[in-house]
This record gives sequence, structure tokens and C-alpha cells, in this order.
Amino acid sequence: MALQKQAGLAWIIDLGGAALFAWGIADGVAAAAAGQPVPGAAFAAMLAGGLVRAATAWAVPVLAVRGAQASTAPLRRGLVEQLLGSGAAPSSGQSAVLAIDHVATIEGYETRFVPARVAAAAAPLAAVAIIACASLVAAGILIGTLVPFVFGMILAGTAAKRASERQLEALGDLSDLFVDRVRTLPILRHFAAEERIARQVGAATREVANRTVAVLRVAFLSSAVLEFFSALAVALVAVYCGFGLLGLLPFPSPETLTLREAFFALAMAPEFYLPMRRLAAAYHDKQLGEAARTAIAAVPHLPPPAAEPGMFAGIAARDVGIAWPGRTVGPVSLSIGTTGMLALTGPTGSGKTSLLAAIAGQIVPSSGTLTAAAPGGIAWAAQHPLILPGTLRDNLALAAPHATDAAILAAIDRVGLTPMLAGRGASLDLPLDHRGSGLSGGERRRLGLARALLADRPLLLADEPTADLDDESAAAITALLRGLAADRAVIVATHDPRLIAAADAKVTL
Amino acid sequence: MTPFPLAAPERRTLRQALACATIAGLAAILLLALSGWFLTGAAIAGASGAAAAAAFNYLIPSAAIRGLAILRTAGRYGERLLSHQAALTAMADLRGALFGKLAAQDSRTAPDLAGGDASARLIGDIEALEDLVVRRPSRPASLAAALFAVALVALAGWQAALALALLLAALPPLLTLAARRLTTGPAADAAEALGALRTAFVDYAAARPEIIAYGLAPRVADTIADLSRPLDRARAALARGDGIVAGLLAGYGTLAAALVFALAEGPAPIRALALLAAAASVEAMAAFARTALRQASVEQGLARLATLAELPGDRAPPPPIEAAARPIGLDGRTLPPGARVAITGASGTGKTRFIEALAGLRAPVHALTLDGTPVDRCTADALRRQFALAPQDSVLIAGSIADNLRVARPGIVDSEMRAALHIACLDATVAAMPAGLDTPVAEAGGTLSGGERKRLSLARALLARRPWLLLDEPSEGLDAATEAELVRRLGQWLDATGTGLVLVSHRRAPLALAKERIAIAALAHQ
Repeated sequence: MALQKQAGLAWIIDLGGAALFAWGIADGVAAAAAGQPVPGAAFAAMLAGGLVRAATAWAVPVLAVRGAQASTAPLRRGLVEQLLGSGAAPSSGQSAVLAIDHVATIEGYETRFVPARVAAAAAPLAAVAIIACASLVAAGILIGTLVPFVFGMILAGTAAKRASERQLEALGDLSDLFVDRVRTLPILRHFAAEERIARQVGAATREVANRTVAVLRVAFLSSAVLEFFSALAVALVAVYCGFGLLGLLPFPSPETLTLREAFFALAMAPEFYLPMRRLAAAYHDKQLGEAARTAIAAVPHLPPPAAEPGMFAGIAARDVGIAWPGRTVGPVSLSIGTTGMLALTGPTGSGKTSLLAAIAGQIVPSSGTLTAAAPGGIAWAAQHPLILPGTLRDNLALAAPHATDAAILAAIDRVGLTPMLAGRGASLDLPLDHRGSGLSGGERRRLGLARALLADRPLLLADEPTADLDDESAAAITALLRGLAADRAVIVATHDPRLIAAADAKVTL
Repeated sequence: MTPFPLAAPERRTLRQALACATIAGLAAILLLALSGWFLTGAAIAGASGAAAAAAFNYLIPSAAIRGLAILRTAGRYGERLLSHQAALTAMADLRGALFGKLAAQDSRTAPDLAGGDASARLIGDIEALEDLVVRRPSRPASLAAALFAVALVALAGWQAALALALLLAALPPLLTLAARRLTTGPAADAAEALGALRTAFVDYAAARPEIIAYGLAPRVADTIADLSRPLDRARAALARGDGIVAGLLAGYGTLAAALVFALAEGPAPIRALALLAAAASVEAMAAFARTALRQASVEQGLARLATLAELPGDRAPPPPIEAAARPIGLDGRTLPPGARVAITGASGTGKTRFIEALAGLRAPVHALTLDGTPVDRCTADALRRQFALAPQDSVLIAGSIADNLRVARPGIVDSEMRAALHIACLDATVAAMPAGLDTPVAEAGGTLSGGERKRLSLARALLARRPWLLLDEPSEGLDAATEAELVRRLGQWLDATGTGLVLVSHRRAPLALAKERIAIAALAHQ
């Protein structure tokens, strides 16, 4: 059983502590009523009960968070793999929300709601069983209150659930409106519209607040029902026991109560509804957790890894268009055989990188026909290359794990990074962090190109390989790419006129 | 949390919530205490024979017990409803006031909240503040309940009452101290670890093409899992803090009950009453524990909100916008009102920056003047009276097409909107939509394509009726035929209105609108 569920069962140990405390005070009060000194055992039971309760109150969240993290850590790891391994995944900001914030919300759900749910299912019955040892009728009264309680919860709960969902939705809309207007403030100021929009935001927030108050009247009904029955349970047990002790019960009682039993039942009566109150306190975590699970479930799963890549036979694209909400690329046509060099050009933001991704089969075009390259047959030299914490060797060998040091050094030399290594007096063991701190933008880019060389694939996609390089280095990289194009297909996305001139063909977006 | 004073109606509602919370707290304590007194008294009377039992006044206590159960329920319901009502209206006001504060800033110096992260954090901070307002009545109500419990216990002698008073007085500082020691460090660690994890994730997400091409997703996922560990550890420490404080409270309650019972004097029913009142009074102090535990997590957010609330400047009523056209000076050259120029240059040379500086959105790089005054010394208001911008990334507000067009200036009527949409070549598209001008423009795209958003933003700039029109890549994403038509209609509109034009475009067709081209590389920097 998961730890967070065991933590829920730990609340039953808490019940044991409550019973010990209740026995202690019942024994003490009974002794006092009989005019005797309070026995030390009564105090010992009270304090021991308190210790047990303190220990469980401490242990439950500790166990629960451990159990919750045992499930959220693999969940996050899998999500990261899904989100970073697919071109169809949401933007990096949204992906971060899914993999980090939503997983944290689920951790809250598992830590607070799950134990409360387990406890709410088991602990009330245990409480009744304990109370029945002292007074069967008191136990029966508690069970009796359960029927109208459940009925009341169904009546109020259904309405309250709808109401609280509406409230969450309205508040969500309001937050969205606020965020949207804050986001667009510069342009609103530019048009001198900020005063009008501010009044509109103020009116909308007030309107939602007023509407929400009406909704809350209903939404809080279910907690009122819970509160009422947990108070009523104490009151009914007190009244029954009092009349029983006076011998004034209007019905024949199956039991003869002593003060000790009566007081014990009274002290235990609040424990019957306590698990339900704990559950109600965790209700917000439940709502948020379920919403997070729904959002995570919508993340596309990775396709199964393809078998051996087939023979690379070139790329042909006809009228290919790529569409996002609010943005389109293309239509564009291009073709390249198994060798040669093709330059994609166009202004910033025209979608060169997206077209490269479509050629690599990472995103699916919205229109046109495209014979994409098989995965495993592509080397990608990125504008901002991936750098994992580790050595320079590890990073270069990411795509070719069996590369020898000699091969790695040769690749470094071909992209012109040897002087950089020599200048730092560094070797392949040069440690790198994930930002590539200490490397310039141009050096990082050449590192990505060296990695692509080592990968040795039939198709090389290079994104702005000469940007940020001085003329001499840019010429060297252009010559290198030209040379590579002799025995493989090279597609570059670039602004650089010299690189475009070196290509066999040019496609403008 | 005093930088956010509440308005009088909310303070009144909170006072009512406090009254309800106090009633509920007193009723809860009295319910238990009275029950204990009643049971013990009944047992003694019952044991003394039928006459004593008959003489025992059971009607008043038993009715009171049932009444208290109802009172406790009503009090709690009232407290929840009223405190939420106060918090909701207070936060509505706060959102409005904060927005007004932000709106009154100059775009060139204002804090940048355009990113999703910053605005989401702002929402989170406001929610944290709302939670504090909701909880505000609970602490004084706890204190009232504590005083009441001490008064009840005083029936059993001053020693017991004094002991309980001392214990209850020590509890809030004890809880605050424990919560501070246990949660301040982990809360800061969690915030830092979360920031580091998010930054690393976004960096890796930027390398997605390589990750996919080389099948590195499992490797990267392992790396991110390593980075997540400090966050998980900090959050586990926070949960441990929760547990320790809850445990402290539970243990303290039994200790108080035992101590009061040991010191209580007088008849047994009174001692039972004191015992249960003491136990219930510690439970009533749980509000202090909750607030203390959350304090470390909300402090930073409150500080961020306070920084925004203390920004200088207040929203002023909008000045009348009609203004005479002024000449633009750039690098010694003067563009008289009505001039039409294109700024040319390779990408990345600062053309957009140039145009945004004129629009008052960013500080200028180039030596630019308006009516002889350097642009960076012009007020934002002077600039926006002169220029209407259709930016490169068309920024639209969430709302309908008409909502977006109405941003341009107050009092725009439908016929004006249609005329502007016609010039922007968007009239036919909008007319074909079932809801027409009321069609919603979902955030960041949605129903409109990139080119359509661009033209909507152009129509908005036309509607503003400023002496100068600033266009940044107005025809991007258009087919050649539509582009030609757009250029023709824009040209007619410029002729008819005498509006000046500053244009940036990579495409050839729109350049025909300009009578003069200025290479940006030739302009002197400031």
C-alpha cells in the first residue's frame, strides 16, 4: 500500500490516542464525582493519549509526503521525457507549468487529500466501535446521525459542488482577464486606453466578487451541514447520557450507564465526525489536483521508437504549410537529394527553424506533402545547443556514445574549437554546466556542430551555423559545410549571404 | 501586511465575521464544558436517589446544549461567508487599484509583467493575500475563546485559571517561533529550487530539436530529475514542519487539560467543566498555527505586491487626445507632418526598436527628436498624442474584435470600425463571421490567423486618428494580391487624411507607400 494511504490509516492510531485520553478524563472525573482523589493512572492515560496524538499528527504528513513524492518523482520524470521528446508538445513555458507546477499540485493532493480520504472511510467506524465499548446507545445515536448527515450532504453537497465549480471558473476567468490586461498594458498605454481599461477591469472584478458571494452562500452549505452534525453528535450523546444517568430516559434503555462510561462516550463523540472535517479541509487540494491530472492526461504520448532508419533518399516538400494558433509558415516547396547543400532563408520569425523541425519529422505540417527524414538519420546543429552538466567529452559524444577520444578531438578540430581548448589549457574533461557557462555563443554553436559531425548521419540540419561568428570563422564553417555536402545532404537555415551563396539552392520563406 | 489597508465596508464585514467567529468559538467551548458539567451533575444526582434526580434541573442545560450546537454551526457559516465576502471585495478593489497603478506607469520604465511567469506570480500573490484576509478574523476570535475558557476555568479556582492563562499566552509565540524555525529555511529553499528547476527546464526545452533528433529525452529527464531533488527535499521539510506544529498543538491540548484538572478545585461537575473547557481552548488556537505556518511562504509574495502598490504615480483622467502634428527630427534631418518614410536595414539592426521608441514603448537608441525635444525627454503622453502604432507582434486584448478596435480611442462607432477594417482588407473576413464585430479574439491567437491579427492591429492604429502612423511589417503573412490591395487602400487613406507614415518592412510592396527611404545604419546613435 502506498505510504500516503498508510498515513491515512495512521489516523486510526490517533483514535487510539483519543480513546486513551478520553479514558483518562472519564476515570478522573468519575473518581472526583465519587469524592475520591484522582488516581495517577488517569493523569498518565491523559498524557500518554496526548503523546500518541502528537506523534500521529507529526507522522501523518511526514509519511504522506514521502509516499506522494515516491509517485510524483516518476510522474515528473516521465512527463519531462514526453514534453521534451516531442515536437508536438506545448511551448516551453506551458511545458514547465505541466511538468513542474502541476506535478507539485498533485503532490499536494497526495499529501493532504489522499490520507484524509482513507481516514474518512475507516476512522468513523473505528470511533463507533470504541464508543460502543462504553455505550451501545451512544454508538447507535452516532450512527443514526449518519443517515440525515449523508442525506444532507447529498442535497447540499451536489448544489455546493456545482456552485463551487462555478465559483472556481468565474475566478479563473477573472484572473485571465487581469493577466491579459496586464500583459497588453504597453499597447493600452500607447493608445491612452489605460484609464478606460482600468475602469473596465475594476467593474469586472467587482461584478465577479458580487456574483461569487451569492454562489458562496450555497457552496458553504455542505460545510455547514458537516459542522451541524458534528456539533449535534456531541449534543445528542451529552443529552442521552445525562438523562440516562438521571434515570429519566423516556424509553427503556438496554444499558445502565456509569459516569465513567458516559464521560468516555462524550469525550469520544467529536472523534466520529473529525475524519470528515479533515477531509473537508483538504477539499481544495482535491479540486486542484484533479484539474492538474486532467491537464497532464492531455499531454501527447511519445510515439514508439522507430526501427532501424531506412535508407535516406532525400527530402521533397511541396506547398508545405505549418500552422499554430495565430501563426503560419509557408506554403513552401523544396527538394534535396542525398548530397548537396540547401539554404533556407527569410526574415526573423518567418519560421525557418519550424520548417527544419518539419523536415526532421518532429512536427507535422498542416498542409502540403512532405517526405520527412526517418528519425535516427538526422544530425541537428542547433542555434542554442543542448548542454548537459558533465564534461566536454560527454556532451560531444551524446549522439555517438562509442566515439573515441581521437574522433572527438578530430571533430573539435574541424569546427575550429581546438584553439579554444588550447587557450584554456583544457582537455576533453573540461566540465560544463547546463548553460555552458564560460563558452561564448559562437563556441557553443560550434560544439553543437561538432556533435552533429560525430553523429555522422546522412542528413545534417544546421540552424544559423555562422551567426555571431567573425568573418574568418564564418568562412571556415561555410567551407566545412560545403565539404560535408559532398557525401551527405545539408540544409542550413541562415541569414548569412555568404553561406547562402555557397549553397546549391536557396529557398526563401 | 499593512501596506494593503481595507476599505470601510470590508472592515465592517470583517468585524461581522469576527463576531460570528467569536460566537462559534465560544459556543464550541461552552458546548463541551456544559456537557461535561451536565453529565457529572446528572451522575451525582442520579446516584443520590430519585428525589435528587427529580430535583436536578435538566431542562435548561439540555436545551442549552442543543442550542449551542446550532449556534456553533450558524457562527461558523457566518464567519466563512462574511470573511470570504470581505476578502473577495477587498481583492476586487486591490486588483483594480494595482491595475490602475501599473497603468499609470511609463512603458519605458515600468516593471515588465508581460511574461506569463510574472503575471501568474502576480495572481498567486493576490490569492495569498486573499487567504490572509479570509483568516484575519480567526486569530482575534481564538483569543476571545481563550479568554472565555480561562473565565470558565476560574469557576474551579484561580490556580487552574492562572495555569491555563499562562499556557494559552505562551502558545501563540511558541507556535510562531516553531513555525518560523521549521518553515523559513525550507520555504526559501523551495522557492529557490523551483526557480532553478524552471530555468533549467526552459533552457532544455529550447534544445528540443536536438533532444528529439538524437533521442536524448531519457538522458535529459534524468538530469532534470536530479535537479528536482532539492525541491522535493524542501517540500518534504515543509510537510515535516506542518507535522511538528500539528503534533505540538495536539500534545499541548492534553497537557493543558491534565494540568487544569489537577489544579481545579470545587465540586466535581465544575472540575469536569474546567477540564473540557481547557482542552477545547487549545484546539481553538489552531488558527495561530495555520497562519504561522503559511507566513514564510506568503511573505515574499506580499513584499512583491507591496513594491507594486508603492510605485509612484496615480491614474489620471485621460487628457483630450486631439493634438496638432509635430515634426520628427532624426539625426539632423526633419520629417515635417505628413511625411512618409521607410526605415530600411538588415534584420537585427534595430528598426523595430526605432519605431517602438517613437511609440513611447521603449527607450530610444537613435538620436530622435519630436518637435525639437529628444524623444527620451518627451513625456509618454506627448508621444502617444502623435503616434499610432501597428506593432510587429500584433498585441490584441482578450475580448471581441470590437473591443480591440475600441482601444484606439473613446467613442468609436460601428461604421468607423467597418471603414477601418475595409482599409485593412479585413472587412470581408469579419463580415463572414457569424458574430461579426463581436467575434471573440482568443488570447494569443485563437480564431484569427497571424495575418488577420496583424490587419486588426492595423485597423486599430488607423482608428486612433493620430498625426503619425507607425507600421512595423504591416503585410507579413499576406498573399501578394491582398498585399497589393492593402497597400493601395492604405495609400488612399494616407492621401485623404494627410497622416504621416514611418514604415518598417522587409517586403517590397509596402515600401511603395513611402516617399523616402532612410537606412537605419546611417543614423547616429544617441
